[in-house]
Amino acid sequence: MAYKDFREFLDRLRQEGQLLTLTDKVNLEPDVAAATRAVNNLGGSTPALLFNNIHGCTNAQIAMNVIGSWPNHALMMKMPANTPLKDQFFEFARRYAQFPVPVQREETAPFHEVEITSDINLFDILPLFRLNQGDGGFYLDKACVITRDLEDPENFGKQNVGIYRMQVKGKDRLGIQPVPQHDIAIHLRQAEERGINLPVVIALGNEPVITTAAATPLLYDQSEYEMAGALQGEPYRVVKAKTADLDIPWGAEVVLEGELLTGVREFEGPFGEFTGHYSGGRSMPVIQINRVYHRKNPIFEHLYIGMPWTETDYMIGINTSVPLYQQLKDSFPNEIVAVNAMYTHGLVAIISTRRRYGGFAKAVGMRALTTPHGLGYCKLIIVVDEDVDPFNLPQVMWALSTKMHPKHDALIIPDLSVLPLDPGSEPAGITHKMILDATTPLAPETRGHYSQPLDSPLDVEKWQAIIQDMLLKK
Amino acid sequence: MHTCPRCESKTASVVAVSPVKGVWEVYLCPVCIFTWRSTEPETITNPEKYNPAFKVNPEEIPFAAHVPPIARRLH
Repeated sequence: MAYKDFREFLDRLRQEGQLLTLTDKVNLEPDVAAATRAVNNLGGSTPALLFNNIHGCTNAQIAMNVIGSWPNHALMMKMPANTPLKDQFFEFARRYAQFPVPVQREETAPFHEVEITSDINLFDILPLFRLNQGDGGFYLDKACVITRDLEDPENFGKQNVGIYRMQVKGKDRLGIQPVPQHDIAIHLRQAEERGINLPVVIALGNEPVITTAAATPLLYDQSEYEMAGALQGEPYRVVKAKTADLDIPWGAEVVLEGELLTGVREFEGPFGEFTGHYSGGRSMPVIQINRVYHRKNPIFEHLYIGMPWTETDYMIGINTSVPLYQQLKDSFPNEIVAVNAMYTHGLVAIISTRRRYGGFAKAVGMRALTTPHGLGYCKLIIVVDEDVDPFNLPQVMWALSTKMHPKHDALIIPDLSVLPLDPGSEPAGITHKMILDATTPLAPETRGHYSQPLDSPLDVEKWQAIIQDMLLKK
Repeated sequence: MHTCPRCESKTASVVAVSPVKGVWEVYLCPVCIFTWRSTEPETITNPEKYNPAFKVNPEEIPFAAHVPPIARRLH
């Protein structure tokens, strides 16, 4: 059974020892962000954090780092908390291939409990706070933002559910960053070409599967809701917005309905980004909020973002790798073994592949650059043999150390597109890209001395089992 | 009216007060849209101690690049 809402997932984390409740009084700044950064510093198995005693607040609760570790990611998928990363990748890929699963429609939702249509003040409704010291204000950075294609409004798949950074710029006003490579930028362009505002719904505090689907680089006409259904193995529940033809996650804690204002740009940021650098000081679109719904005593889910690794990197690790894997397999079904695009949202990606002939691995790297996600990311592609595990970085380093010849295997392709947030891009949005072929040369490439790869002594697996058993009994 | 620690405009106003009376206030500057809470450290709240690398010159705000550019109206 799927998690019906955010609270049910928090309960599951609590049962598994993956939710730490902080009952001592904390300040909104710097404590909440500092504690979350601290938990990110403690490794890949850390818990989510729930703050329920916030200085100056009465009933506020803030949940942080909810998908911010591999055990929490496994629990999101309803797998055992200790499932190895590579197994999570292949299970995610198996479910991804079940797409699409039609949605289940509901008439009412828990967030209808409280409705606010006048005197909206987001600063009162949510316990907003600063994440990083250079941030220009208080942000929402883990909400599902829902918009529809204006040229094909009946197309359910072209409705977009995405996660974008939004600065709270007034009591009922948000700034939003629609990166050109992301689908919402298409909807905004359509609205501005017509001179009309774009209806938008923002859902905060969702169960983690829709958040994961919303953060997955799907194709433009693939529905995040139908992908969420595939990932959770049953139809995803949605409810219609009251003022627009937009579908909302049924289990949301807080829902904001409003409009992206046509032709408006306003000073935004800076904001500490997933690249480990601030970006901002540019003029970006604005959302006017007209209506708010929320559950009684809503839990505010927020996400600390900063120098990797943070929750962002767990949240967009496997779900960035799998679409690349599937799209590469569409081109090379018998060769592609696995893809690890977990580094800074896939600015670096590692591909494990079989090869048919010399030069093949470089073609695989070129294909990765031309996938939809590759157009905005994939600045460095490392291609390794099928027996190198791309999730095992020491193995990848071994392949680079021994298989790559800089004269033959380092390709630089000039002036390709990349997301403008890449701090090295010049101008912003343009960069050279690189493919490092760390596969073994294959005929007609006959260079190097690779005919005597080292094998292990006999019976290593038997001894591994014996020693592991001895260590467990120690 | 309050002075913005970031752009030093004098027109910031209170947008929220703590639910528990008297603990904190939140201010918003209408010029550079900077937002801060009264209980944050001086490196955030005090114009003289705000990180110079993140200061904003109000005169430069109108020249900030549009991201994304405003689409030309077709209909």
